[in-house]
Amino acid sequence: MRRLTRFLRSFFLVDMLSGLLVTLRLYFSRKVTVAYPEEVDEPAERFRGILRLHKDEAGEPLCIACKACQRACGTDCFDIEGRKEEGAKFMRPVKFDWKLDRCSFCGFCVEVCPTNAIRFSREFRLTGVRKDGLLFHRDEMYLTGDDLQEHLCGGCRRAA
Amino acid sequence: MTPFVADVLIPVGKIVAVILYPMIMVVVMIWLERRVVALMQLRLGPNRVGFQGLAQPVADAVKLFFKEDIRPRQADRLLFNIAPVLVMFTSLLAFAFMPLGEPVRIGAYTLTLWIAESPVGLLIVLGLSSISVFGVIFGGWAANSKYPLMGALRSVVQVLSYEIPLGLTVLTVAFAARSMDLVEIVRRQESSGVWYGFLMPVSFVVFWISAVAETNRAPFDLPEAESELVAGYHTEYSGMKFAYFYMAEYAHMVLVSSLVVNLFFGGWLAPFPSVPALDFLEVVPGFVWYLVKIMFFLYLYVWIRATFPRYRFDSLIRLVWKWLIPLALLNFLVVALVRYLR
Repeated sequence: MRRLTRFLRSFFLVDMLSGLLVTLRLYFSRKVTVAYPEEVDEPAERFRGILRLHKDEAGEPLCIACKACQRACGTDCFDIEGRKEEGAKFMRPVKFDWKLDRCSFCGFCVEVCPTNAIRFSREFRLTGVRKDGLLFHRDEMYLTGDDLQEHLCGGCRRAA
Repeated sequence: MTPFVADVLIPVGKIVAVILYPMIMVVVMIWLERRVVALMQLRLGPNRVGFQGLAQPVADAVKLFFKEDIRPRQADRLLFNIAPVLVMFTSLLAFAFMPLGEPVRIGAYTLTLWIAESPVGLLIVLGLSSISVFGVIFGGWAANSKYPLMGALRSVVQVLSYEIPLGLTVLTVAFAARSMDLVEIVRRQESSGVWYGFLMPVSFVVFWISAVAETNRAPFDLPEAESELVAGYHTEYSGMKFAYFYMAEYAHMVLVSSLVVNLFFGGWLAPFPSVPALDFLEVVPGFVWYLVKIMFFLYLYVWIRATFPRYRFDSLIRLVWKWLIPLALLNFLVVALVRYLR
């Protein structure tokens, strides 16, 4: 009896047809592909994207030009000069050059920063067509989003 | 209508159309295959070049056109060059006998949507598809390389074996229609009111399985099993010659789909001829019905490919010799008997 049912099942292609139904169901189901430039998958919370300087809530820069990051950096990404203005509370950087092409995203600067001014962002789109897009001066270290993309590659990327 | 138009322009126009039509279908088919397989595998597939990626096969062809044409030093030059042409030529030539739609009346002139109507059209089409096997053999042998040879050998064994059930099922259709004329077969399905696919489902299923094997398609794609044989018989081909093999494979699929539609599903006929409420379906031109039907079978090709894993070679041969051929023979006897008694 079991042999007979097995024979009939294969003779009438039952398993074949149910297999076809499986693929037909998958045909209409949700796709896993992310159509990249149009859709972007947000990277993980701890993702080490490009380094950015931050300001406090009042809009004051957090960096006090202590050069701790410059000393900690293994690949010599930083070139910082600080100056304390007359009557000011903290020292501020007058020059803060950072070179993306040297950075290995090791995170030592982030760890060592006493004011938490330099942090990893989650920006992963770092390609460009110009070399000078890899060098960031002080004010450019605050750029994010589209402004950052503009600096990196000058509108070479398709809008998201 | 002047004799010049009737005797020169229309035949030339038909020939151009019959060459262009498989080519266009090939482009559509390659796109369809890549998109549908991708969708069934939860991917998206090519969707950037042109509308929904429709121009992707064209872009690929242009790329292949500019690729270097490499011929292995040890290859047999003549056969190596002839093989892709032979495969393509036989596929295209068979389309000359395919009725693509019902004859169109333009005034006093009747434009037939086929190039040649022959009382043995069915035999010619089958014969041409057998000749295309020689292209595969030549290609595999002439390349003087082991993988192509293995692929060609597999292809020969497979195609020769599967031609038997194919021929036997085609005979049942010829019996039912009392004709081997492809146009006549469609006409008979019109006059008898039932398509042979529904009249003889066993014939259809056996024919379809054999036809999938005959075109070397998944799950019977052993001659070009990528994981074992690189690409089978066309491993050593590059550039446009490779494209010829590639396009011929798809043209062959279009041909087989046309054959299935003409033999078993009423060619250009509108469905449900016996239901008066659905008479409005007759308004749609026959060519459109024909296209809809072959698109279904082309889709089925892709659907089957996306679903089933490749057969092992011994089970492939066992399937045909122990199942399909006895079944086809039995079916043939039954049809012959019924035909004799009526």
